[in-house]
Amino acid sequence: MRKIIAVSIAAGSFIILADRSQAADRDGGAQLAAMCASCHRLDGGDGGIPTILGMSPEMLARAMLAYRSRERPSHIMRAIALSLSDEEIVIVARYLAALNKQVRP
Amino acid sequence: MKSRTRREFVYLTGAMALAALGPRLAASESKARVVVVGGGIGGATAAKYLAVSAPTIEVTLVEPKPNYTTCFFSNLYLAGLCSLDSLTHGYETLAQRYGINVIHDSVAAVDPVAKTVGLKSGPKLTYDRVVVAPGIAFNYDALAGYDEAATQVIPHAWNAGLQTQLLRRQLESMEDGGVFVLVAPPNPFRCPPAPYERASLVAYYFKQHKPRSRILILDAKDSFNAQDLFLDAWERHYRGMIEWLPAQFTGGIKAIDVKERSVKTASETFKAAVANVIPPQRAGQFAQQNGLVDQSGWCPIDPITFESKLQPGIHVVGDASSAGDMPKSAFVANSQAKACAFAIAAALTGSERQSPHLFNTCYTHLGPDDAVSNAVSFKPVAGTIKIVDNFVSQVQESAETRHRTAREAQSWYAAFMRDTFGYAAF
Ligand SMILES: Cc1cc2nc3c(=O)[nH]c(=O)nc-3n(C[C@H](O)[C@H](O)[C@H](O)COP(=O)(O)OP(=O)(O)OC[C@H]3O[C@@H](n4cnc5c(N)ncnc54)[C@H](O)[C@@H]3O)c2cc1C
Repeated sequence: MRKIIAVSIAAGSFIILADRSQAADRDGGAQLAAMCASCHRLDGGDGGIPTILGMSPEMLARAMLAYRSRERPSHIMRAIALSLSDEEIVIVARYLAALNKQVRP
Repeated sequence: MKSRTRREFVYLTGAMALAALGPRLAASESKARVVVVGGGIGGATAAKYLAVSAPTIEVTLVEPKPNYTTCFFSNLYLAGLCSLDSLTHGYETLAQRYGINVIHDSVAAVDPVAKTVGLKSGPKLTYDRVVVAPGIAFNYDALAGYDEAATQVIPHAWNAGLQTQLLRRQLESMEDGGVFVLVAPPNPFRCPPAPYERASLVAYYFKQHKPRSRILILDAKDSFNAQDLFLDAWERHYRGMIEWLPAQFTGGIKAIDVKERSVKTASETFKAAVANVIPPQRAGQFAQQNGLVDQSGWCPIDPITFESKLQPGIHVVGDASSAGDMPKSAFVANSQAKACAFAIAAALTGSERQSPHLFNTCYTHLGPDDAVSNAVSFKPVAGTIKIVDNFVSQVQESAETRHRTAREAQSWYAAFMRDTFGYAAF
């Protein structure tokens, strides 16, 4: 699964989660994004912790995979990335990317 | 007004508001009612996420204090590095932006049969579910000579606000050369690294203003959280200023003499210029009085929904809960509250609940520019909650890394407060 995501990201497309409805993805995305909100401001603000709004789902997913493989160092992000399945990474990345479009500029 | 506020929120941010859930849930006729007892980190987070995850749930938050002052970062206040005001947060955003019915009162009792909670001022509120997040209470019986009245002379400063202010004033008026005696509690207690972070930051203050002063930690334990990181920092930043005496050395803490401002251990009595006694702890009084606590002194819960194992329909989150490996921290309270809110929303509205993701992250200051962090993930396993991964800062880290972590801590505080008490910026 991880390889598939990486490959589909490289190809510029995003893996399709055929077995879940859109509504279930949205619920799941919101619940997973709640976890991100404990450290990342979801109002577009920034500080010592970078914003996660304004990134494409592909960039977000790629960043999560890089934290998981230790390619990018951060033990906090590593713990989060390790606890998420590949499918959950895709769902939360999509949700956050969509959220960005709704945030007031 | 209420629904407009909520719609406005969805329009403005879309954040977590699950706009898409609206139409599906709007079909249900009457609103389900959830009452949240306690507007600290666990309660405020639970109220907010209940409100945004299902517009058909009417959320009432009951909290006696008009404002909440965070314990986390209160050690920075003791060091003179921030104001108490900057650690104090109101409930306006939760009420206005999220449509939560905020009542400033105490909950006296819950009646699980009639499904009501009684407020101290008299009225009763009906509920479908209750979330209880009363934090900690102090087990004064376990410490001879120290009680509620004694906290006005020798503060514990383990709830933030007036207690923290009192301790700060005492440190300010202490003469240079005095001994600050800190009594550290037995496990489990609110925030495992916090007594030692306090020693570090008071040492920082002494180094700036009272360099001949010393800190003595009389511990009820023989070891403590992140001990190697603290011992290393004390050697680098505060050499000779902090002495830590474990229980095996003193024979344990026996009594507090409030008049003399001294602490009696099995081997010796230590006199303080300023004393800070952190007593043994248990679940908040409300939990004790409403049948939510077992013989451990804490509230046993279901590891997925945080529903009490003793009282159906009542959920317990935050410090009061007995949640396996999860420590008592604000981050944990926030993480548990979200899992609990989503589980309640699913039960009351039939929406889908994901399996919970539970974490702890703690930033600990060893000095203003030297901070460490840890990150732990947890999983419900066989009726309890177990650690899955645990990552901690290392002793050999560079000064830049530590400095970066201190900056990250500031940024975390801002985000975490927005997450818990709402997006005041909008
Ligand atoms: C010095 C110090 C430093 C800390 N540093 C950190 C840190 O860096 N990171 C971290 O994650 N955690 C930290 N913590 C721990 C953190 O403060 C607690 O774990 C957290 O506050 C627990 O949240 P809670 O909701 O369970 O309880 P609280 O935040 O204490 O909230 C309980 C609320 O319930 C209310 N209440 C009680 N009884 C009733 C009733 N009958 N009716 C209505 N309301 C009631 C109270 O007024 C209170 O507002 C620190 C703690 C201390 C003491």
